[in-house]
Amino acid sequence: MSIQSMENPVTHIPNMTVGHVGESAVGKKEKVSVRGLNFFYGTNRALKNINVPLYEGMVTAFIGPSGCGKSTLLRILNRIYDLYPNQRAAGEVLLDGKNILAPGVDINLLRARVGMVFQKPTPFPMTIYENIAFGIRLYESLSKSELDGRVESSLRRAALWEEVKDKLNTSGLGLSGGQQQRLCIARTVAVKPEVILLDEPCSALDPISTAKIEELIDELKSDYTIAIVTHNMQQAARVSNFTAFMYLGELIEFDGTDKIFTTPSDRRTQDYITGRFG
Amino acid sequence: MEPMEKRSVSDFAISNASVAQPVSASLAKALRRLRINDKVFHSITRAAAFFVLFLLSAIVVSLIIGAAPALQKFGFGFLTSERWNPVTENFGAFAPIYGTIITSLIAMVIAVPIGLLITLFLTELCPMWLRRPIGIAIELLAGIPSIIYGIWGLFVLAPFLQAHVQPFLIDLFGNVPVLSTLFAGPPYGIGILTSSLILAIMVLPFITSISRDVFEAVPPMLKEAAYGLGFTTWEVVRYVVLPYARVGVIGGVMLGLGRALGETMAVTFVIGNAHKVSSSLLAPGTTIASTIANEFTEAVGDIYTSSLIALGLLLFVITFTVLAAARFMLMKIERRQGCA
Repeated sequence: MSIQSMENPVTHIPNMTVGHVGESAVGKKEKVSVRGLNFFYGTNRALKNINVPLYEGMVTAFIGPSGCGKSTLLRILNRIYDLYPNQRAAGEVLLDGKNILAPGVDINLLRARVGMVFQKPTPFPMTIYENIAFGIRLYESLSKSELDGRVESSLRRAALWEEVKDKLNTSGLGLSGGQQQRLCIARTVAVKPEVILLDEPCSALDPISTAKIEELIDELKSDYTIAIVTHNMQQAARVSNFTAFMYLGELIEFDGTDKIFTTPSDRRTQDYITGRFG
Repeated sequence: MEPMEKRSVSDFAISNASVAQPVSASLAKALRRLRINDKVFHSITRAAAFFVLFLLSAIVVSLIIGAAPALQKFGFGFLTSERWNPVTENFGAFAPIYGTIITSLIAMVIAVPIGLLITLFLTELCPMWLRRPIGIAIELLAGIPSIIYGIWGLFVLAPFLQAHVQPFLIDLFGNVPVLSTLFAGPPYGIGILTSSLILAIMVLPFITSISRDVFEAVPPMLKEAAYGLGFTTWEVVRYVVLPYARVGVIGGVMLGLGRALGETMAVTFVIGNAHKVSSSLLAPGTTIASTIANEFTEAVGDIYTSSLIALGLLLFVITFTVLAAARFMLMKIERRQGCA
């Protein structure tokens, strides 16, 4: 299958080896399309002409050595970089066909649609219940019982309910690292986003918590479009449908995960996944 | 040496290690020197720390001794009496206590919100190029000697308030039940309200610079997470930054309050130095510190001097109580937040 047969054909992509996109890409809808994206920290160009799709209902993993721009790319997708005055993005990021980098985009709405989970767990300084209820209240006015139900279902989705149901009114900061991270995922899921961005969500966690979160990602992908940045290639191989390999601010290769990890087209990809550098 | 088989493996390992490396004479000497150095350093630091305790108790003791004659003569009435009559040697501390507390409270009511707003602007909203100038200006504000605030308050602020602000306040609240008593009487210019304003200006830099430090210590990732959920700047500040920084902010506020309670020179200039408790904030009053500063040189007679020292003791007690209350509050907050 060639890339042209996809529903949303990607325009010609320089700097990137276009391999044969894996079978699974066919007929998939592009939820997010990154086109000709450049990113600058001050005058330092951190991303160079990136083109990559995120397919709806799929998990896309971003791998690459530190500093290659994976996290930077993720931070553009919900415009969290906006918080910092010296950072600037140029190019297009289409969410359902609309450019989110265009002026006049409602940032709060965008961030409700594109949720993000960070490397370190970041529970807010409030109770476990409030950590989840707060985000919901920003967008919906629910009755107390509806809200309770939503908090419970979010916690259940994040496989945390059984552990915290008796202490919902204690501080979220009292949970263990793995629990905190699942709380953050529950919080993100609670506002019903369409896309979830995971920035190395397991790098601060122990293997058991990591396994739980990987299971969770697998369950979530039926309802959400997920992008995950990870340094752990086994993790990328386990959880993702597609994998993008980035190196020095460029997207080197994007393909089905099986293809990337078995027969990558680019020499650099192969070197990286076999551990020759990075 | 005991036979090998009687010893456990670990015993053997330890003794073996020490035997394998016999300590040479010069090394032993060096080690001993290091140990002595350590001991000396340890005692010096401990002496320095205990010196503070000694100073504190010395001050408290001398205050109590100095205040004893007045406290013995007037008893508990010293706290509740409004009289202050050097001629008949009849003294009561109620007016200065009231003045001290009320001016500081009003100052905090004004300075805390403004200080927090400045901090929020500086840390969350201000464009980079403007941050430094404003930050430096605030730090300079903290560096102005209080005598200059006093002069400025007396010659610039008080006449301005007298001419423009106070008549307006009197007119505005003239028919409102409670407020009309708070803002009653002739506009003197100097008085409780003017002192409070000066104090507010003086404590502003403390509150601002401390809360700026603690606001900047909020992990960026936590803020990003909140923004990432779609929080507005206000919501991030209200529900993430402030709770996270609460302990530090309260610390800054208490430091400011401590300064306001004890501030002498600037208040002495603009408070009017009247030993009475008035329901109006526009009326002149006095504070503990300004009473002491004003009257110490002319205090003749043991009871007069002793009464002034008793005032000092009271100020000490008030400040200590405020700080202790703040500590207690922080402990309660931390316990509530910290427990799982």
